[in-house]
Amino acid sequence: MRKHIRYIAVAVAAASMVGFSGCAGEGADGENVSVTLLTADPQENLQPAIDGFEAANPGITVEYEYVPFDQYNNLIEQRVGSGDAGVDVYAADSGAIGSLASKGYLVDLSEFSDEVAAGSLPATLDANTYDGKLWSVPMWTSMQYLYYNKDILDAAGIPYPSSNLDEAITYQELLEAGKQAQAAGATWGVLFDQINRYYQLQALIESAGGGSGATGEDLLTPAINNDGWVSAMNFYSQLFEEGVAPRGVATEQMPVLFSTGEAAFIVSGPWQATTNANEGAIKYGVAANPVFEGGTPAMSTGSWNLGINPATDQMEASKKLVEYLSLTKEGNALSTSVLGISPTNVAAFDDFVAGLDDRDAPHTAGLGELTKVQLSSIAVNRPNSPGFTQMGDVTGRAFDDIRNGQPVQGTLDSAQAELQGLWDRLK
Amino acid sequence: MALSSKMGSTPSRQAFVTIAAWVVGIAFILPLVWMLTGSFRDKGELFASVYPLSWGILVPETLTLENYENLFAGPFGRSVFNSIFVTAVSVIVGLLLSAMAAFALAKIPFRGAGVLFVAIVLSFLVPFDAIAVPLANIFREWGLANTYAGLILPGVANGLAVFALRQFFLGVPDELAEAARMDGLSWWGIFWRIYLPLSRPALIGAGFILFLFQWSAYLWPLLIATKSSVMLGPIALSTLATQQSVDFGAIFAGAVFLTLVPLILLLVFQKHFTASLASTGSKG
Amino acid sequence: MTLLARKGAQGASHKLAPRGRSRSLWPIALIFLAPTLILLFVLRVIPAGEAVMSSFQNSPSRLIAPEWVGLENFAVLFGSADFYQVLGVTGIFIVTIVPFQIAAAVFIALLLNERFPGLGLVRTFVFLPVAAPAAVATVIWGIAFQPRGPINAILEAAGIPSQPFLTSPSQALFSIIILMSWIGIGYWTLFLVAGLQDIPEELYEAATLDGAGWWQCFWSITLPNLRRTLAFVVVANTVSSLIAFVPVAILTRGGPADSTRLIMFDTYNNTFVLGDVHLGSAEVTVLILILITVTAIQFRLLGKEK
Repeated sequence: MRKHIRYIAVAVAAASMVGFSGCAGEGADGENVSVTLLTADPQENLQPAIDGFEAANPGITVEYEYVPFDQYNNLIEQRVGSGDAGVDVYAADSGAIGSLASKGYLVDLSEFSDEVAAGSLPATLDANTYDGKLWSVPMWTSMQYLYYNKDILDAAGIPYPSSNLDEAITYQELLEAGKQAQAAGATWGVLFDQINRYYQLQALIESAGGGSGATGEDLLTPAINNDGWVSAMNFYSQLFEEGVAPRGVATEQMPVLFSTGEAAFIVSGPWQATTNANEGAIKYGVAANPVFEGGTPAMSTGSWNLGINPATDQMEASKKLVEYLSLTKEGNALSTSVLGISPTNVAAFDDFVAGLDDRDAPHTAGLGELTKVQLSSIAVNRPNSPGFTQMGDVTGRAFDDIRNGQPVQGTLDSAQAELQGLWDRLK
Repeated sequence: MALSSKMGSTPSRQAFVTIAAWVVGIAFILPLVWMLTGSFRDKGELFASVYPLSWGILVPETLTLENYENLFAGPFGRSVFNSIFVTAVSVIVGLLLSAMAAFALAKIPFRGAGVLFVAIVLSFLVPFDAIAVPLANIFREWGLANTYAGLILPGVANGLAVFALRQFFLGVPDELAEAARMDGLSWWGIFWRIYLPLSRPALIGAGFILFLFQWSAYLWPLLIATKSSVMLGPIALSTLATQQSVDFGAIFAGAVFLTLVPLILLLVFQKHFTASLASTGSKG
Repeated sequence: MTLLARKGAQGASHKLAPRGRSRSLWPIALIFLAPTLILLFVLRVIPAGEAVMSSFQNSPSRLIAPEWVGLENFAVLFGSADFYQVLGVTGIFIVTIVPFQIAAAVFIALLLNERFPGLGLVRTFVFLPVAAPAAVATVIWGIAFQPRGPINAILEAAGIPSQPFLTSPSQALFSIIILMSWIGIGYWTLFLVAGLQDIPEELYEAATLDGAGWWQCFWSITLPNLRRTLAFVVVANTVSSLIAFVPVAILTRGGPADSTRLIMFDTYNNTFVLGDVHLGSAEVTVLILILITVTAIQFRLLGKEK
């Protein structure tokens, strides 16, 4: 009797495991081919584009997998890096192209170079190039603006900043205006959307003449403690030291702080307008990116691009998918329709710009023109260094330290040393 | 006369005990209460209310179910079911296997028991996150990606649970079993009929170890189960933090749900931890 | 449910007297142990072996087969000043958090072993943080610790100046310790309560008759009889503290000024964020060695039997 119980227990245990092995793979029978698309966006964001693609390509189905953003790079490393054929097409972040390509995680897509040069926004060709070859095709891009809370500015008697690029406010003037706003009752003066990330602060640093931080022919010689970096970071440190921007508040809270009327200014992307609209609490306007005093204007740009996993067994279908999503007006426009982010296909972009002014009327009046001008003249791409991930990590921690009051030169110097050590391992 | 095992021997000491215990209890539950009320708040109000000090920190000005609606609009509902299923199977199977192993190590005299125990302790000294990647590759090769089995298996062999149960079994007197042995009971019988029934608190403790390992697992399910049909709770929760915005209200709502299940289990198993002042004999 | 230990709970544990030759017990022991051993071998030992092996290799990309580089990865680790910072921070962390959590858990377990109105409720309250998703708990505490957050709100209302907490190199580590203790203490308290309830009443009866008060009984009866449970709790607490990294990853990323750069976080960062698998494996190997050493010392100090 007791033996039976034991056998039954073991059998149940075994059965409960075996019985639940699901099917992991997609079938690729003669008629229907399946391509897996992996991105850091929820499926609903790309569903219209997927539907459009499947309608235009009967015989190809798109399987979608979503990975939370903060684990995305990690997961690409694990799956593409282990030669997992279960991933065919995946989203590649701007700045990461060099790193992905040098590790062999991307298929050479130079055959699309001419199409990209002809049909996509100018900055996007460079953004997807590494070592003279095209490794991915652009899908989305981003831009930044200076948002300002009209009520707060009115109460403090501050003139609205200009949306004319030639009259852009300087960062230094912005700091002063922020202080004035706080004196008149605003909680915070100046915010940045991704307040401690390289993507956001690259514009500030480049404007101060610091360059991107990655130099050398192989883009593996760090330069993150030169004069430009130091000046930019001195300003950054000042923001927090003087209480104009908050310490200890997570990046994710920044948009909400502005949309609920707690801050006078924020440098953020078009998505800020959506957040503001959802909250519906403030009167605001949109102006040109600030410029560093005595420096050249610069604006952060770039977003997700599409690459193909070399381990894919659906090369033809994958190429069709990336071509549709990036290089056709219909596909590219559909891919941005849910998120409202900027497409990279020129024709789709023109439509996008035309609709910008109505994004959150009347606050977003003039947004379209401003976008066109900024994108064509002051956009700076993240450098496609093979060590970009390391740079993002090291500088991110340096920014946090400076934000929390650590001395600027010392922090940048030790970040430089740390990055040098990490990049030496890559050479 | 009050036993010296208790602090609360005089009325004033009893008062001290009660107050201290409640202060501790409130200190532990306060952040969770904040999370609970936060899940019913308007998004904007959540952060506006944390400073300066006011009742507004804990008492929401606005009450809304919007966060819960947003939460269940996504894959979260299915993921809760997945989490419950995966964890339940892991605990049941894991308890059985761990108890068996602990029993053998503690009560069956065989050479090498010490060595095997050391080996099992070593196994949980290896951080699971450190081996998750090679293990994920192995599982992928075996076709266990995006399956329940792939999620359950790592949770079923837990060195810590074996350790805990073994410590407990060591403290159980041998006479009970020796008597049974004289009566001709087999080892399995001793295990099943005598030791297991005696070890309910330890089993509950080990059960919680297994439960928590699976219930809060994040890196492993991320590597091995990203299809929404097998996605687990914590992963579904993290999908609410997108690149565009972080839906804190929905995240708190999800966290409330994910805490509810262990809470219910705790309440159910409360009675097994009740100190019985009257009990002095061995459980028959 | 208390158990009577006739030999006294200090009981040396004799194995049951073997029947027949001791060799004949192997197959039976193996049947009990086999499923766990096989699973642990496949699911822990083999991947751990791979991880350790990978610490002696290097390759420019995961897709390229790695080659053996001997101790090069370890040389890189131990040649960088950052790693010594990591070791230092981890050392301070461990000698602070373990005694703190054990002492607190023992105290709370003693409280929970008493009778008072609402015992079950308080017990649930203490344990519940363990059950909340760690990432959410971290976010909540991150908000609590903000310069303009609830904790500072309370401090300021009490006339104490607001503290930088996570933004200051001198307070950040301790703030992380508070956070992790809030999450973990309930767990250890559970085991200690069970351990307390296992101590037979008669021991206390005898001492009470002799006139011993609570404090004396605590040192002469309670603690010695908790030894087995304490051995488990101290070891498990040390291990779980050394391998925790979620709060650091979400809130401080090792800062400010590397003051919270714990070794498990650094390993995670190297392996999963920077993608340097082999360096990460080397670091994990060092971590495992630390864990083994610390555990062995603790076993020696805490238990007569292993």
